[in-house]
Amino acid sequence: MRVKQILILAPTLVSLFLIQSYFWVPNFEDQVKGDPGRLTRYIETSIGDASILNPTLAADSASAAINGLVFEGLIDRDLDLSFRGRLAESWDIFEEAYLVVGEAQYLPDGSRVTPDRLLRDLERARAAGNPALRLVEKMEVVPGGSRVEQIEVTAEGPESGKPGKHTVSVTVHQPPRIMFTLREVDQDFFIKLNRLLKGYTDRVDPLRFVEASEPVVTRERAAALVPPIEHNPVVLFQLRKGIHFQDGHEFDSGDVKFTYETIMAPANLSPRVPDFEPVKTVEPIGRYAVKITYKRLFEPGFQTWGMGILPEHLLNRARLREQAIRMGRNPETFSVRDSPFNRAPIGTGPFRFNEWKTDQFIRLTRFADYWEGAPNLHAYLFRIIPDPLTAELTFYAGTSDAYPAQPYQVERLKHDPRFQSFSRLGLGYTYIGYNMRRPIFQDVRVRRALGMAINVQEIIKYVLYGQAERTTGPYPKQTEFYNPKVQPLPYDPEGALRLLAEAGWTRNADGWLEKDGHPLAFTLITNSGNEIRKSVMVVAQNAWRQLGIKVETLTMEWAVFINERVDKGDFDAVVLGWAMGLDADLYQIFHSSQRGHFQLNFVGYENREADTLMLRIRQEYNHERQVAMARDLHRLIADDQPYTFLFVGKSLVLLDRKVIRMVRDADGTLRYLPIVPDKLGGIKFHFNQWIKTAEPVLTAH
Amino acid sequence: MLSVLLRIGSKKLWTLFFISVISFGVIHLAPGEPSQIDPLNPRFTPEQLERYRKAFGLDQPLSVQYVEFYRKLFTGELRSFKDNQPVLPKIVERFWNSFPLFLVGTILIWCYAFPLGITGAIRRNSLLDKMTTVVVFALISIPGFYLAYLLIIFVVENFHVDVIGIRTFGRGGVPAVLGLMDRTWHLVLPSVLGATAGVAVLSRYVRSQMLEVINSDYVRTARAKGLDENTVLYKHALRNGLLPFVTMIGLLIPGMIGGSVIIETIFAWPGIGRLGYEAILSRDYPIVITLNFMAAVLTLVGTLLSDLLYMVVDPRIRLEKAE
Repeated sequence: MRVKQILILAPTLVSLFLIQSYFWVPNFEDQVKGDPGRLTRYIETSIGDASILNPTLAADSASAAINGLVFEGLIDRDLDLSFRGRLAESWDIFEEAYLVVGEAQYLPDGSRVTPDRLLRDLERARAAGNPALRLVEKMEVVPGGSRVEQIEVTAEGPESGKPGKHTVSVTVHQPPRIMFTLREVDQDFFIKLNRLLKGYTDRVDPLRFVEASEPVVTRERAAALVPPIEHNPVVLFQLRKGIHFQDGHEFDSGDVKFTYETIMAPANLSPRVPDFEPVKTVEPIGRYAVKITYKRLFEPGFQTWGMGILPEHLLNRARLREQAIRMGRNPETFSVRDSPFNRAPIGTGPFRFNEWKTDQFIRLTRFADYWEGAPNLHAYLFRIIPDPLTAELTFYAGTSDAYPAQPYQVERLKHDPRFQSFSRLGLGYTYIGYNMRRPIFQDVRVRRALGMAINVQEIIKYVLYGQAERTTGPYPKQTEFYNPKVQPLPYDPEGALRLLAEAGWTRNADGWLEKDGHPLAFTLITNSGNEIRKSVMVVAQNAWRQLGIKVETLTMEWAVFINERVDKGDFDAVVLGWAMGLDADLYQIFHSSQRGHFQLNFVGYENREADTLMLRIRQEYNHERQVAMARDLHRLIADDQPYTFLFVGKSLVLLDRKVIRMVRDADGTLRYLPIVPDKLGGIKFHFNQWIKTAEPVLTAH
Repeated sequence: MLSVLLRIGSKKLWTLFFISVISFGVIHLAPGEPSQIDPLNPRFTPEQLERYRKAFGLDQPLSVQYVEFYRKLFTGELRSFKDNQPVLPKIVERFWNSFPLFLVGTILIWCYAFPLGITGAIRRNSLLDKMTTVVVFALISIPGFYLAYLLIIFVVENFHVDVIGIRTFGRGGVPAVLGLMDRTWHLVLPSVLGATAGVAVLSRYVRSQMLEVINSDYVRTARAKGLDENTVLYKHALRNGLLPFVTMIGLLIPGMIGGSVIIETIFAWPGIGRLGYEAILSRDYPIVITLNFMAAVLTLVGTLLSDLLYMVVDPRIRLEKAE
């Protein structure tokens, strides 16, 4: 019967065809050992693909991994996290400060202020060695002038009906100013100067210099238009000469300016805008120097120059126009964001872009003319494997060279002789935050007691498989800002009960804590999808219930959690985490001005001393002084316990044992060195020296 | 006939319109915003976020957004929020990646489900039937990802070959035959896994359909005529038993754009399922809504095709003339 035969034959044939294909594919041994090229090819796996290979537009970590190899910034961080020049050879940080010289002010002796008169007095004081002018290198008069500005005002009040925005034309009569060039940035310069001038700057009235058609200009607005005093920190970068982009074009100061402009152009929608917003101007000084002037004191602004520099000659207006026409797009609306460059980038970094198969892999090859010498590896492959288990199998099979172990695997794999492993402490921390707008959390004793009731060591041991470290404050533990002298809260439920009793919370007949007849009850929430936070929540709930606190818990979807509860301050306590940067600025998270809706101080923390410190820290350019203040701030926050600081996660990266560093000495001899992690625990600091050897042999020191 | 087709067509268009409105609305009603507007960088000011919203057109009323969206979709101007690439070429590329999986998976399902189902029906309650029933129910119940892991570990440990991705990674410059076979090998595990549930379910349908037919009067008549068993079963019974499955051909069509998120994720397969899944996570509205819309179109085309096929194979079914 034909039908019967077909029914039997079809599956058999299909199966045979599929199975026979097995005999055509190479096995792992062929791929790893039978391929000498494998030793100069480094393969890394990632769970997600890159999105945009343009450092000014990308915001995800996968894109950053590739951009970091293809592009280079002016600076980066050395093994010890201090700054190191890359495209910039060296830099100078100084300050230009401006003081308005109005027409109607009077000097302490009652004489009228004129720019020349004031300058002469100041010169005299400087010659006399007045400490207020110790840092001043140069003083000069900048003439004034008039300009017209459009400002946006929000009309309010009953006569204007409903509030609406409209623009008002304002004439600004900029008075002459004295410009001070300071050897280094000094946030207290004007305080000292004001002492010398007996409160002169306080007498300057900015409203006098502003003329508007409507009486809408407030004093603050006028002060923004004509600031009586102004700090302009300046970074002067000296660029390295003779550096070329991967297409052979020489890198120069124009590229730096272009990169900055690309970020700030509204059409490009760069996620980097907030980092560069404090920049006032970027001026090339000849081909090999760039002067960056900032609008205000903002020390964390410096590190943003680690961002990759774009090639101006490939993305300028004319080139974008050509690309738009070639792609049949409207040249008027075509922005850097639309350019095909973002899928085939060219930078100055050690690796050049070769191929990108979306959601499969990105291949880079080495840039032979890299200024520091070509990397040892010939190719870098970034393979996208979304599933951790298959990524692990790929690593064991030798078809990828690195694997980030899951926490539960660490104990088993740490000592596996097949691999080298590097443990790394994270930059982010997990905490429980208390809404201090709620009366029960206003008492620091209550917050301390809640923290003391939680056994953090146990959470680390059982929830995180030991892959975390206790933390006591808001800074990453690897930075100098972290104050190692601050002790963590002890685990002490008895002590917690005593503290609560001090605060007036005593156990009632049913065993629940209460005060004036009100029970101590609140809800602890977190987002769903994060098992660790959920476990922390449950552990905390259990610990607090044992003290006699009625705690309810709730998890909700991230968007709802953030938009409806956290941003609106509609919660009692949250389990959350912060991913921190390497700078000392905590202004947005803990400053009392940031307590509004949709701001980040959602717990409503307020401490005047801490507020002052946070402002001073972000304005301090001297590292030692900044560190000292940051450590004080750490202690203050730890004393106040707006959060119960819990832990910082750790991770373990496994690397093929055969990956080592190969360095060629001046006399040509090759030395093989082990991989050294940087202070953060990152292992790729010497990535350009990496190579794979058939058998690992390290040169003895 | 033509007027009937027109009538059906216009009905389907109306349905499509409502689907497009609903799917657009549902996605915009879901909490959360595109990841570009919900950034991790805390230094973003509300004004800067507003600029993103404006650039993505999210500051407009939903009705305006709806019209704009479909205008851009049909003129090919629609771009992904994530990487600013045009949506349609992105989807087409992923479609061709997923298509072989769909094709081989479907072939496997149809090749295996029928023999299994038919044998089950013919030898009802035999040991073979009972065993297939157990296996089939096991396959339906085991979570796909678990089976996938077992299979991957088994093959990798025992045969030492690459099984993930669409080809052996980093292998280039091989002759065409080798390349083709390499790709075929990489299809084996994911398509077998993708087919397991399908085989299980479909074979049960075939079995019950066959059982019903075997017990019907005309089969008894055929046997009474003295026809041999094979003719009775494979000519008289099977042909009628197959009727309902003809309609399933039409219903396969929307599956082409579905793709399995789990299988594609585990096998690092750059397919359409993963594209859609990742787009949903990052609220990449252009991709999500376009995929949704295309799935709706294909479903409607599929049902239309089923109806037509049924008319062709079963003379008893005829569309009533419009009166």
